[in-house]
Amino acid sequence: MKRFGYILVVVAVGIGSGAFAQDGKAPEKIDLSDGSMIVVDDTVIPLPLEIFASLDKLGQQNWGAVVGNRDVKRFPDRSRSALLFGLIVSDGFIAVQAKDSEAVKRIGRDVMDIAQALAVAPQVAKHANAVVLSADKEDWPSVRLELDRTRQTVLDHMRRNRDGEMAKLVSLGGWLGGTKALASILRGNYSAEGSDLLNQPDLVRRLKKDFEALSADAKEGQLFVKVEKTLQTLEDLMKPNRSGAISEKNVGQISSETDELVDAIYES
Amino acid sequence: MRVRFRGISVLLLLLVSSIAIDALAQDVESDRLHDGKLLAQQAAMSSLKGDDSFILRESWWNGTIVPGAAKLIQQQLFKRNEYQFWFAVPGREAVASISIYNSAGELVESEEVSFEESNVASTVVRPDSTGIYYLRIALTRKTEADEDWAVIYGWR
Repeated sequence: MKRFGYILVVVAVGIGSGAFAQDGKAPEKIDLSDGSMIVVDDTVIPLPLEIFASLDKLGQQNWGAVVGNRDVKRFPDRSRSALLFGLIVSDGFIAVQAKDSEAVKRIGRDVMDIAQALAVAPQVAKHANAVVLSADKEDWPSVRLELDRTRQTVLDHMRRNRDGEMAKLVSLGGWLGGTKALASILRGNYSAEGSDLLNQPDLVRRLKKDFEALSADAKEGQLFVKVEKTLQTLEDLMKPNRSGAISEKNVGQISSETDELVDAIYES
Repeated sequence: MRVRFRGISVLLLLLVSSIAIDALAQDVESDRLHDGKLLAQQAAMSSLKGDDSFILRESWWNGTIVPGAAKLIQQQLFKRNEYQFWFAVPGREAVASISIYNSAGELVESEEVSFEESNVASTVVRPDSTGIYYLRIALTRKTEADEDWAVIYGWR
């Protein structure tokens, strides 16, 4: 295998002008409203750990307080199972952040249980087992990697089997779980600086658009009416003030809204 | 009766095998190595080692890009984190470029990481606020054909 020639560590990008084609520099400004711009239609949801890492740079947080410990029921409804799968994997990331090996091992088993309900168990088994084994050794980088692989393997498998709607619900569940934990931490220990991590109205708009595009069959029932309503509410609550922060009141409401929706997904 | 039962069993076995083979074929198809992704991953190796290394995401983007054209990828980034993106296409003649814009469409200051190979580009960004950013990928020199591209990213 050819080794990469790594010749220049860092070159500061100057403020360029003109188009790439003419002078090789990036244009200073692009018109995002230009309909001819080709925007890749694929939403990559940030991992909870990505967001938590930023918050930890402001000081140590009590992640152990937001590690979930719920009984996971199996539902015949695949859409609910897909949301639940995303939530459980997200709980795994929270347990990694809290370095709670017992919780990770429990979550690894829950992942397999819901994977069976979603008919993705063969794809998930290898990674879920690695999650449990790595948690036993408290090898947190490996747990994190295998959780990410678990999530991505399921998304890839669903997409290539024309089950893209379920993949979107898995992503939505994952985002919801991470947001719930983040809002809960910020609610208990509010800082304007930390609150900017909830500045996600554009991402919510994208998730809402994906959700609205789902077929009626994929979002049948009261739970999904609640999902749609909550996304709308969150989009409004996540709009920052002039300084870029989310108010303490809004953080509290985001926490309540996400708590209620997660409860509904687990319980209903 | 027994013969009939065995016949049904064989048919059932063939049907199940056919479904299993079909599923396996689909998995193999999708697991084929993507040249662009492989190049991007090779380029990323040096940033993924050491105490303060980037953490590579399993998620990635791919598609086809017309020579001379650009595409935008939307991504939520978080203040205080640092992100590195790698963009690669297989064609050795291609010159890949990558830059980052904020939600107002303004170029964001970032650090370009260069390689000997012109078909791989990378940049490091430290967002000064949390929000949606636009990754702009482009081939700055015309090649003969469209290119299959891949973008991967890591954070720390």
